[in-house]
Amino acid sequence: MRRLVQPGAALQPRRLLEWAAPVSDLRVTLTGGQDLLRGLVAALAGKGVAHAAVQIVAAEIERMAYLTGAEDPSGERVATYGAPTWLEGPVTLLGANGILGPGPDGDTLLHCHAVVVDAEGRLHGGHLPPGDVLLGSGGAVALVTPLREAAFAASYDSETNYPLFQPTKLPA
Amino acid sequence: MSEAATFEEGKLGRIAVVRLRPNEDLVGAVEAACGEHGLSHAVVRSAVGSLVDAVLEAGDRVIQVPGPGIEILTLAGEVRPDAGGRPRAELRGTIADGKAQVYGGRFRRGANPICITLELVLQEWLPA
Repeated sequence: MRRLVQPGAALQPRRLLEWAAPVSDLRVTLTGGQDLLRGLVAALAGKGVAHAAVQIVAAEIERMAYLTGAEDPSGERVATYGAPTWLEGPVTLLGANGILGPGPDGDTLLHCHAVVVDAEGRLHGGHLPPGDVLLGSGGAVALVTPLREAAFAASYDSETNYPLFQPTKLPA
Repeated sequence: MSEAATFEEGKLGRIAVVRLRPNEDLVGAVEAACGEHGLSHAVVRSAVGSLVDAVLEAGDRVIQVPGPGIEILTLAGEVRPDAGGRPRAELRGTIADGKAQVYGGRFRRGANPICITLELVLQEWLPA
């Protein structure tokens, strides 16, 4: 198993875990014509949900971009994102996992990766950039698990030289 | 008479908010995190992250995907105790490499090092 040397010193512990309390899940339906991630973040903000685990179980997409990984030519990090790949719809989402929490600037961020199939039946997948996934008329459905007592919040990670979601205890 | 289906009654319990740091093995580190925190049965609720390289199993095939920066697109599976009572993770899902090729299968233990991070939410399964 190949291991990469990260730009910063290895941080401990190597596995972080915080316990969150179970609450009722939410099934969310988004109408077409809006951005998938921004629409979902806004809808959940309206319900007071800023920390969650997300599964997007269906989405019909009119136009979208996704990003895949690449080596970082600057050497400042071991990997970065390459140029976006754009797909014209209809694109069908097959599955997506997401983490919702406060980003490095305090705004709520939905970190989401998805696998989709394009109009010719080809599979694609990667990181979804907010603002670049326009829903078609079929909209989207997500199953959201709000997190209480503990959740993810982004902070600078000196080992990888990225701001990253970290498990964090939440105030009661 | 052999049973065509067996049932285990139970309910979902606490939620574990987990991060794995770089170079940890995906399957082994999920099992280690569960063992360290007394989580014997769990299901994956969501996961977002990346791998240095990936090795997936599909039937008799072993799919080796060189990275770095393999994106984990979807992750599903569960943690159950083995015969010795240690947590054992069965994880499967889809990934994309740097050329945007998508692959799927079961993640091989000891062969899928985390690249930048894995953000993972597990939910405890409490057998009745």
